[in-house]
This record gives sequence, C-alpha cells and structure tokens, in this order.
Amino acid sequence: MEFLTMNNLTYGYPGTAPVVDGVQFTIKKGEFHCLLGKSGCGKTTLLKLAAGLLQPDQGSIRLNNKTVTEPSPEAGFVFQSPTLLEWKTVLENVLLPVSLHRKPTEKDQERAAMLLEMIGLSAHQNRYPTQLSGGQQSRVALARALIQKPSMLFLDEPFAALDAITREELQEDLLKICHLQNTTVLFITHDIAEAVYLSDHVAVMEKGRIIYQEKVELEKPRTLKIRYGSYFNRFCLTLRQIMSEGNP
Amino acid sequence: MNQIRLYSLVLFIFIIGFWEIIAGNMSELVLPAPTVIFLTLLEGLIDGYFTAHIIRTMLEIVLGLLLGSFLGFAAGIVMGESEFLRKLLSPYVIASQAVPKLALAPLFILWFGFGMTSKVVITALICFFPLLENTVSSIQHVDKQKLELFRMLKANRWQTLIHLKIPAGMPGILAGLRVAVVLAVVGAVVGEFIGGSEGLGALIVASQGMMDTPLMFASLILLTIIGMILYQLVYFVEKRWEKPYMKEKNK
Repeated sequence: MEFLTMNNLTYGYPGTAPVVDGVQFTIKKGEFHCLLGKSGCGKTTLLKLAAGLLQPDQGSIRLNNKTVTEPSPEAGFVFQSPTLLEWKTVLENVLLPVSLHRKPTEKDQERAAMLLEMIGLSAHQNRYPTQLSGGQQSRVALARALIQKPSMLFLDEPFAALDAITREELQEDLLKICHLQNTTVLFITHDIAEAVYLSDHVAVMEKGRIIYQEKVELEKPRTLKIRYGSYFNRFCLTLRQIMSEGNP
Repeated sequence: MNQIRLYSLVLFIFIIGFWEIIAGNMSELVLPAPTVIFLTLLEGLIDGYFTAHIIRTMLEIVLGLLLGSFLGFAAGIVMGESEFLRKLLSPYVIASQAVPKLALAPLFILWFGFGMTSKVVITALICFFPLLENTVSSIQHVDKQKLELFRMLKANRWQTLIHLKIPAGMPGILAGLRVAVVLAVVGAVVGEFIGGSEGLGALIVASQGMMDTPLMFASLILLTIIGMILYQLVYFVEKRWEKPYMKEKNK
C-alpha cells in the first residue's frame, strides 16, 4: 500500500533551473527510505515539500490518501540542527508538540518518559539543552518528533554533525524505535554508508531529479557486522560511482 | 577576581582622598569635600528631608519605566509581527527618535502640567524606544529552523509568538530594558529640572539657587544610587532568566 506519493513534483525560483524537477516517488507503509545526494541537489527542498512546509509549483503529494497542502499532524520532522528550545528542560522539549495545543496528560508524560528511557536520557530529563552533548541533543530532538506517534517521519540529515560512533548509536536507536512503531521514514543524508545501513530503499538525487533507486537486501535487524560485509561495501561503491558520475 | 575588587576599593579610597585634599583648598561653593557631602547626606536622610524627594523621583522613574517599556514592548511585538505596520510606521519611529526627546520636556509640561504626570510621560517616552527597537529586532531574528519546527507542529501565530519568538528574543529585550532603566533616571530628572518643586531633580535646581553645593552633590549621589539599584535589579532579572540554560556557556 502506498503511503507517501509524490507526483511530478516541481519546485523552483523564477529565472533559475528548478530545485526539484519532476520528482516521482513512492514510499510504502512502514518502509525506511533514504534519499542520498550531494549538497545543493535539492534533497532538503524535496523533504520540505513532502512535509508540507513548502508548496510545490507543480505536482502533488499524497500522504495516507490525503493531499498534503500544509504540515500534517501525522508527520514528524527532525531538522539538521536539534532546534531545541534552550529555555525549556529536556522533558518540556520532548512534550512541546503536545503542550503547544493542550495540557500534557498523565499518558503524555508516561510516553515522554518511555521515549527518554529508550534514548537513554531519563537521568537528564530536568536538565537544559545547553547542558547536553551534541549527540544527546539530537536524541532529544528525535524523541520530540516521536512524542505524537507520527506514522510518517521526515529526517533532514539529523546526525550529520555528530562523530562516527555517536552517529552509529543514534542510527541504532532510530531503527529500533521506527521498527517498534512501524513508522514510515524518509531520511535525507549525504553519507552513503548511513543510507545503506538504515534503509530498505535508497534513492540518489542529483540536480533536482531522482537518478537511481534500489532496494537494499540486508537482513534485519542490522548488526555491526553488516557494515563490513561484502554486499554492504559493494552497494556503497555502486552508489558512490553513481553520485560522482551523475548517471547510473 | 578578589584582587580586582581590592584594587577597585583602593582606587575608590584614593579618589576620595584626593578629592578631600583638593576640596580643602577650595571654596565649599565650588567643590565641597566628601566628608561635608556625606554629612549633608546623612543629616538629610535622618531628619527625613530627602524622603519625600526620593519617593517622588523613584515613583516617576518606576511609573515612567513601566509605562514606557510596556508600550515599547507591545509596539515592538506588533511591529515585529506585521511587516505592513513595520514599513508603515518605521519612518515615524525614526523621525520621533531623531527628535531630542529631552527638548520636548517643556512641551509636556505645557500639556500635562507641573505635576507628576508630565515627568512620567517624559520618562515613558524615553524608555519607549530602546524597548521598541530591541523587541522588533529580537523577535524577527529567530532561528529559521525553529520557526519551521513550529509550523510543523501546527502552532498558530499567537502560539509561535508566546512559545518561541518572545522567549528566544528575551536576552535582546532585557538588554533594551537595561538601557531604558538608565535613561529613565535621566528622563525623570530632566522633567523635574524644567518644572517641579518636588523630586531630586528639583532639589538640584533649588540647591543651585540656594548656593548649597553640598546639597547638590548629595542629591546627585542619591540619584546615582537609585540608577545603580535599578540597573542591578534588571541585571539580576536578566541573569535569573539566563541562568538555567546559559550555565554551560559561562563555565
């Protein structure tokens, strides 16, 4: 069943080549998709279009059989930077999507506590974002995106600024949580290994178009060993060549 | 850190001592000695001569500050939020800021009389602009990704303002308040200079007439103390606001 469909999506600024150029893309329920591309290829714009933060010039987006014209309450978004509110505690930040619209209930509190437990930040719930490390801040941002149990999650290079080991830990957390909740994910990155490791499907974007799509045939759950297996590395190499040559 | 405090104290004693020596060779009318000023101050405080003046000036400063900064803050929010109003009103704001506001004091006395109202209005007018300017620019320069986050969370304009723009702009807004506090003292005193029989500013004018220079210095010291207390108060509020989340940065 198709969950997210982008149909002939085009977006651009007058007088220049379109940033997103006729993109055709579908994601099925519960799948994890990565969109890979060099910076400036239009991947962030595509993600914002999909999330309803931008309006396409042409084409349409459907999420769960509804046309997207504005941000959907079903979707969560994780930005490049953690975008935590410095004046709120970790717990308050996680609860922000709820507290903006109503008073958090006992159940919301429980869910926030559960998410913090999962990302290993229970002990820090009353601290402030500036007192946390970069990795911890990204974790809080992830928990905040998940508090309302979104069926669709958009992530825009959320781990780009982290060191390799922390990034791997966060990738594990993300996979675990998404698997538990059967979340459909569209993940943007420029890191080839990250894309292959995380996703069920990898797509490569260049100059506003999707130039390559392939299913990743790796066992689940992912293990550390996978990262060093021959299939994984061959896959990465293929993607690397596609990205540098600009055509498959 | 403690050494700096010690040096600071030594410097203070040195200045006072130097002043005392110089004043010894001069007429009290020109430069009264610190001891004389201090005695005048103490005497005035004990027999309650200053009390009414202090209360009056304080009241003018506080009322003017509250009124001016509240209006400045509110106008700043409105102008920060609405591009139309910002563009419409900014020429007037710049023009009215270019007018030396103290030069308007006589006009306000004419309009609002010799009582407290005219001084409060002058003070409020002076406090209005720092708050307006800082609020407008602070709430406009909020992190773009955070604004997108709030759009994603389906926050309406009001919620975005209350939960994001104002708290995020708070350091800038409080910095404006700090400027306003210092200016408020100036506003109240100048108002009293021009017309008034009560208040520390009026007392300075009166002491000039009476050729009572020690009294003038005593009033100046009182004004300085009031200004410093208010400044410290705002500084304290600012630190309290920043404390929880700036802790790490200060280390």
